[in-house]
Amino acid sequence: MSEPMDERDLDRTLSTIGRDLAYPTRDLWPEVRARIVARGRAPWWSRLPLGPSPLPVAATLLVLIVVLVALTPSAVAFAERVLGVPGIQIFPVPETPSTRPSATATPALFTGTRVSSLAQATQAAGFAVQAPTGLGEPDAIYVDKAPARVTLVYTSRPGIPQSPAVGVSAVVVEFRGSFDQNVMGKAVGPGTTLESVAVNGTPGFWLEGAPHQVFYRDPAGSFVQETLRLAENTLLWESGGITYRLEAQVAKAEALRLAGTFR
Amino acid sequence: MTPDSVEGRPSEDTVLVERAQRGDSDAYGELVRRYQGLAMRTAYVITGTTAEAEDAAQDGFTKAYFAIGRFRTGAPFRPWLLRIVANEAKNRRKAAGRRPTVDLSVAEERPSGDTALSPEAAALAGERRELVLSALRGLREEDRLVIAYRYFLELSEAEMAETLGVARGTVKSRLSRALVRLRELTAGEARPDV
Repeated sequence: MSEPMDERDLDRTLSTIGRDLAYPTRDLWPEVRARIVARGRAPWWSRLPLGPSPLPVAATLLVLIVVLVALTPSAVAFAERVLGVPGIQIFPVPETPSTRPSATATPALFTGTRVSSLAQATQAAGFAVQAPTGLGEPDAIYVDKAPARVTLVYTSRPGIPQSPAVGVSAVVVEFRGSFDQNVMGKAVGPGTTLESVAVNGTPGFWLEGAPHQVFYRDPAGSFVQETLRLAENTLLWESGGITYRLEAQVAKAEALRLAGTFR
Repeated sequence: MTPDSVEGRPSEDTVLVERAQRGDSDAYGELVRRYQGLAMRTAYVITGTTAEAEDAAQDGFTKAYFAIGRFRTGAPFRPWLLRIVANEAKNRRKAAGRRPTVDLSVAEERPSGDTALSPEAAALAGERRELVLSALRGLREEDRLVIAYRYFLELSEAEMAETLGVARGTVKSRLSRALVRLRELTAGEARPDV
């Protein structure tokens, strides 16, 4: 060494070393994505095909739509920001829930207190319950109060096959978003399509395909699986602060027509 | 060091992060590709091995993916990511039971890229490089890291603070102290710390 380095020499030498350092360089994304999926907690979009793929996006789409039973102001704002529909929220799903029908499905479908009329349902629920006149009078009406939820059951309707899972032709569920912080969700797995639609002039969603599974999210944010409530095709929309869900094995056009008959 | 992986583009990052938070896989993939080089360098200067650096970088990106929903909108993404990657790298090094190391053998084997130097000047530069590399190995990890972040990763002070998890003032003082220590070692005025 001829002479000690001064500050400048040291600075220059360090910069040169940094410039000359050869680091391994290769594309990490494929392996990162594989690790994400392997962890089993992958948000739905991590399962989307990357880049051009012959698979339709819907075939690998895993989303969660959450119908907010209780819409806090922040939850409403978030839902509106994300989807533009108060009461409906998409967020990552830990994993695809099983959609296998179970023997306990039917009892879970009819929770709450049975009432004999829409007027009684309105009184019990605390909001104006509407029903699709296109389906005629419901065969059964149930009201849950914690949180408030009204379920209209149509056991058999001409032209609408009964669901093999629950043995009814159609179900209408209505919520008002001002009770508590529970949310109810509907998972949509591979084989199901999700489409944004206008329902009676308001934003809504149409889910078509494989059966979905419904579950709640508790106030702490954890998911609590509801005893299976299965449906084939589902129309979701919001009107006047009430979130509506029509589940029936009908085509989208028919579901939209029925939505237009809510009175 | 490629400009793509080092030069910050905060506004583009913000857009990509927001898209990723909304579930856009392409956006997160772009963030990974944008910062994979820098993440690899960060992990490499801590673990000292290519295999562990890759593993740490990949796990860092994976953890960041699951944490991105909690990432504050508008905050700088790069130092946030590098901190996660650096923690992953440190965990690996500790788990391996090895003392901290920065494997700079690659740099030792590479000739200087400066071809404009005279033979004498090139020889001097090479000599200084050997001396500095040797001295770097004698520094404590925190001193070595702050120098590596500044000179090898070209992080800004703010990014260094975020990545190291210390205040900006601490970064300044730590870098200053580390450089003094390095110079003392190169001059033979002190014994190595490790």
